[in-house]
Amino acid sequence: MMSPPASSADEVVRVSGFVKRYKQHCAVNGLDFTVQRGEIYGLIGPDGAGKSSVLKTIAGVLGYEEGSVEVFGTLLDSERAAEQVKRRIGFLPQGLGLNLYPELSVEENIDFFAKLRLVPEADLQARKARLLGITRLDRFRTRLMKQLSGGMKQKLGLICTLIHEPELAILDEPTTGVDPVSRRDFWAILAEWQAVKGMTALVSTAYMDEAVRFHRLSFLSHGRVLASGRPADVHSLVPGLVVTFESTPQLEAVARLKRRYTQVESLGPSLHVFTPEQDAEAAVAGIRQTLDDLPAAHLRTDEPELEDVVVALLLKEQDGQTTVSDRSGQSALSANMPQFDAPAVEAKELIRDFGSFRAVDRVSFEMKQGEIFGLLGANGAGKTTVIKMLTGIVPPTGGAGRVAGADMRTASGAIKERIGYMSQAFSLYLDLTVIENIRLFADIYGLARRQAQQRMEWIVEMAGLSGYVNDRTGRLPMGVRQRLALGCALVHSPRVLFLDEPTSGVDPIGRRRFWELLSRLAREEGVAILITTHYLSEAEHCDRLALMYAGRIVAEGTPGELKTEVEREVGQLLELTVDKPGAALAQVAAAGFTGAALFGTKIHVLSRDPSGDEARLREVLAQVGMTVTGVRPRMLSLEDVFVSRVMALEQASHKEGSR
Amino acid sequence: MTVGRGAATWGQRLVALTWKELLQLWRDVPLLLFLIYSFSLSVLVSGAGITMQLTNAELLVHDEDQSPSSRELIHRFQPPYFALVGAISDPREGLRQLDEGRAMVVLDIPPRFHEALMSGERTTIQLLVDTTNAPQGLSAAAYTVRIAASFGTETALASAGLSGAKASMPLVSSAHRVWFNPTQDERWFQSISHLLRMITLFAVLLPAAALVREKERGTVEQLLVSPVSPFQIMFSKVLAMSGVILLATALALYGVLHPVFHVPMKGSAALFFLLTALHVFTTAGFGLVAATLAKNQAQVAMMALFVVGPMLLLSGITSPFESMPQWVQAIMTLSPLRYYIDITYGVMLKGAGLDLLWKPVGAMLLLGGTLFGSGMWRFRRQFQ
Amino acid sequence: MALKEWKETTRDRLFLLLAFLLPALWLVVFGYGLNLDVEDIPFAVLDRDQSEFSREYLQRFIQSRYFSFRGYAHDERTLDRLLTETKIRAAIIVPERFQEQLIAGEAATVQTLLDGTFPLHTDIAKGYVIAINQAFTEDRLIDFFRRSRGLTQEQAGVLVRPLSVEVRYLYNEEVRSTWSMVPALVMFTLMLASPLLTALGVVREKETGSIYNIYSSTVSRAEFLTGKLLPYILISLVNVCVLWLMAVGLFQVPFKGYFLLFFFAAVLFVCCTTGIGLLISLLVQTQMAALIITMVVAMIPTILFSGLLVPVASLTRGAKVQAHLFPAMYFTNIVRGSFLKGVGADVLWIDLLALAIFAAAMGGLTYHLFTKRPKT
Repeated sequence: MMSPPASSADEVVRVSGFVKRYKQHCAVNGLDFTVQRGEIYGLIGPDGAGKSSVLKTIAGVLGYEEGSVEVFGTLLDSERAAEQVKRRIGFLPQGLGLNLYPELSVEENIDFFAKLRLVPEADLQARKARLLGITRLDRFRTRLMKQLSGGMKQKLGLICTLIHEPELAILDEPTTGVDPVSRRDFWAILAEWQAVKGMTALVSTAYMDEAVRFHRLSFLSHGRVLASGRPADVHSLVPGLVVTFESTPQLEAVARLKRRYTQVESLGPSLHVFTPEQDAEAAVAGIRQTLDDLPAAHLRTDEPELEDVVVALLLKEQDGQTTVSDRSGQSALSANMPQFDAPAVEAKELIRDFGSFRAVDRVSFEMKQGEIFGLLGANGAGKTTVIKMLTGIVPPTGGAGRVAGADMRTASGAIKERIGYMSQAFSLYLDLTVIENIRLFADIYGLARRQAQQRMEWIVEMAGLSGYVNDRTGRLPMGVRQRLALGCALVHSPRVLFLDEPTSGVDPIGRRRFWELLSRLAREEGVAILITTHYLSEAEHCDRLALMYAGRIVAEGTPGELKTEVEREVGQLLELTVDKPGAALAQVAAAGFTGAALFGTKIHVLSRDPSGDEARLREVLAQVGMTVTGVRPRMLSLEDVFVSRVMALEQASHKEGSR
Repeated sequence: MTVGRGAATWGQRLVALTWKELLQLWRDVPLLLFLIYSFSLSVLVSGAGITMQLTNAELLVHDEDQSPSSRELIHRFQPPYFALVGAISDPREGLRQLDEGRAMVVLDIPPRFHEALMSGERTTIQLLVDTTNAPQGLSAAAYTVRIAASFGTETALASAGLSGAKASMPLVSSAHRVWFNPTQDERWFQSISHLLRMITLFAVLLPAAALVREKERGTVEQLLVSPVSPFQIMFSKVLAMSGVILLATALALYGVLHPVFHVPMKGSAALFFLLTALHVFTTAGFGLVAATLAKNQAQVAMMALFVVGPMLLLSGITSPFESMPQWVQAIMTLSPLRYYIDITYGVMLKGAGLDLLWKPVGAMLLLGGTLFGSGMWRFRRQFQ
Repeated sequence: MALKEWKETTRDRLFLLLAFLLPALWLVVFGYGLNLDVEDIPFAVLDRDQSEFSREYLQRFIQSRYFSFRGYAHDERTLDRLLTETKIRAAIIVPERFQEQLIAGEAATVQTLLDGTFPLHTDIAKGYVIAINQAFTEDRLIDFFRRSRGLTQEQAGVLVRPLSVEVRYLYNEEVRSTWSMVPALVMFTLMLASPLLTALGVVREKETGSIYNIYSSTVSRAEFLTGKLLPYILISLVNVCVLWLMAVGLFQVPFKGYFLLFFFAAVLFVCCTTGIGLLISLLVQTQMAALIITMVVAMIPTILFSGLLVPVASLTRGAKVQAHLFPAMYFTNIVRGSFLKGVGADVLWIDLLALAIFAAAMGGLTYHLFTKRPKT
């Protein structure tokens, strides 16, 4: 496989006019794209956009109806043709570790895949050592796969996919439900394999913030491509700016802004508005004009994130379709809410043991009414257990807590009437219709007929479910399902809402609407909301955050506080734009910038002394003949905060362990 | 909150959950079709197709006498018990056919058979029986002995000139009256038995599967944080499935058993359905206990198989309960089916009422309560 | 491939436990517990005569191992009630003047009430009653001829009983139902356990999605199918040996045939049954569906149409066709032939051929149906 003819050498995958149907339902309708050798190509899009169908077809494990799919220059039109290219492909199907064998150990899993792919023994040992090393899984070689955490499973899945050094790796949503630290490891392997072995990768994801890591990408929605090209190209499709500022009263400000702007988000105390103006001053002026007499403090303008762009694209696509109905007259409902002065949730030294394993270790925190409190942490850090204790599913081993004014240990019945809960997995009845689900929970909470009818109407309106009332829940898109689940959790007007990873696998628009709902609940009705999530961009919406590690809370504060704290410790974030990012990264790392990481074509570096380091970076790269086209400081994201915290803790515990 | 309002809410919750189960089952089309098949066509086929009484036992005859008497004797081996498949001239041929399983019985009539009978001498016919299936073999032998004995006595008495004077001899005739199923229509038995099998199978599987499905999909957590008790969660499933099974039973009863096989309902149909509900409730207890022990559907099914297999074969529908070894009878006191069999036949064929059936009913109530209670206890414990 | 499947199967303790324990345990429970002989029929008596003869007549029932005496009743209504309550399955009513009539050389009639709910049992019970009744009658007749014609005991005996039947029970000389049940149960357990295990194994992989590893790799279809089947075939063959040892050792069933032939047939049969499991698993998507369908497809015809309980010859036409379409019947023939009859390939070749054809058909069908690039 040295060098095939030049034309096909560049094109690893060519898809044109691709159509895939499942019975009458059309999953993909006319798709075209090509993947060049050595690039990391992304397929982005919400659930049900058709990403999996495309990837499976390219991997040769799914037939298709129309169009053509060529892989390594072979037209995949029969099982025989598909067989020919499988040797050169690695495929990681969707789902956390689902392709692995739970009863086998880490090493046995790898060996099995190696045998399946006829990898020579010597190569196997070397590759295994290397891959386990990067992913920091080498300590767990003999552990059974079923005992690994979600993030580890997914890393192992990737190792198994790459063990035969495929020329093309096809990865289907490899990072959904994986914590940010594992996600970084994941990208580290991909980046290394791509740089060192020249591997091509085709990856799908629902995380917009990952999209910048791709060389090129296609954005899919409803089986069609909305946009494609380099991340920068996609960016330029929707020009505009993001203006961030604070304004009070927030709800009134949002209402006014909504009349003019399509994307208005409230992130804790601040507002986040996407404006089509490209000039900062014009944008700010527009905002001020819309706000009228309301103040706008701490104004800042930024380049939009890819997510803003994508949402804009999706909104454009949906134009003309039904949008969330205009809400009015909902304030009447909050009138009869009793007000407590006591904290909504109070956890004191909560402990939970499973056998000899301590899942939650002396966790204490307090939540006020109307507060959105975020609980962050890697897979298996104990977040879910905390929620289960507070909701009364799991009794605590030690400690005390009060939820919605009732003692958690003695008045669990009273608590259950006052809280709403949405569990990690979607937990409504898929074979019931929307209205049947709502009615079921209304009856369970003992609502009287008339009251139930009122609440039902309110939920349908609030969650924008009016078009779906009689649809089977299983057929709804993920975003709608999540809104329905939220609606069901709210049927009895709870005082406290517990949400466990409510937005896994929901598309960006769905997520935004979801958050809009949450902030309205908190601000208007004073509901206290406890939420966990892996999407750290989402955590920005929370008023306060707590970071959990190994069962303990290791940091707590507002998003802003957490960021400043970390910035003080590790320095500012610099973004470098260079012409040869792969090679440059090695140089930068060699020059002592340890936190350097590749984001698509850009390099991120942490620096305590931004101006000095900028000069040094330019110098280092100039020496090897690379030109730096731009260096600019960036705000640390919550993900950076999370990763740096957890890495530090992991290293500490590792040292402790090895001592 | 007053007691009355509390009870109303409690009832409202139970009804809501039960309705949900019914809706879910209604939407599961393949399962529904399978359910209907099991209670209609399947009952029809096994009711009509199988008979465990000796039927069509393949008979080979080696007649070395070829006399009127021998022919008369052979003539008495009649369907439905026997089917004459041929005559042979070589005894080894008979053995070979037995080996190959093409014949079950070989009748060997000696030379001078007729002569001996006429002259009042004793003579012996030989019968070779394949007893690889022991009960059938025994049955065939017993029939043969009966046929031969009556034939022998009749001919002997006739030749002694006594045939007309039967009344003047001390003959004890045995008059049989078969109760509850006078024509011994085996289709009654087979179709009812099959119905019982299906009821039991579904009573174990349906609620168990429903509970495990909730566990697997995580919906049970949603219920646990709401103010419903574990009892309501479990009981609503049993309630819904009992309703469905009762409906299916009615379908089998009035769609197949009654019109096709003319199985009577001598007792009260209402009582039968009531007690069927009790049986389903009790049997469902097994399923629920299994469901709380299992992590996934596969394990539940395996455990169900473990319980249902012996229950179906040893409770007394396949073989007589009285002749079962003592230890089996002891173990089977735990099988609700064992009581339900008595109840079903009692109500349907014998016309028994609660006054006669209170013992099995009481035993079943006790068993059901215990099972359900321990299922609840396990269910509660599981989440702690 | 097979190695991985083997490793994985053996890791799942519960699965392994069930795979080996279930067949063995079933054999023990059913072998000892499933008694098809009709014995200990509970009965009650209404003796209206209370004479020497009536007592002698009844004594014959009370002493028979086929009947289990539950007491005397005083009127017919009590008998009714006992029958309805299922306290008894049979009742005997001896008429008044029983002894008087017999001594006077007159015929007498004894009433027998039988519970007809279980026709097979009723029929067998009826047979017992007739036999006992006949023996008693013959004794009375002999008595009568001796007195009335002055014949010797011997002569009277010949007159009354000129024809006797010499029954030779072949293959299962002591007519033990365990002997006939246990070999068939070997078939039964194999027929149930192996397709279930196979179907679950494959569908589990399908449900979790790890089957895509296979789809996307270069492993060929034949390799996959054999790799998937081999561990289950091995488990089943170990089970065959265990069951064989149990049958011969524990139940003392004679094995008169050729072990190699039996084993070869078992291999063929296991190929058929695991093939059925594989076929089902290729057609369905969920474990629950796989289970229910396997249970129905494997259990019902095996109990009803394999010759396990009911000989194939006594089935109705439609049921007979069904029996011939299923491998269970052929293997039952081979098992019983090998254990009890001691026949060899010269007799059993048709059954062997049928099994081989079935196995080949299964193989072909699954190979054809299994596609690494499915439509959905």
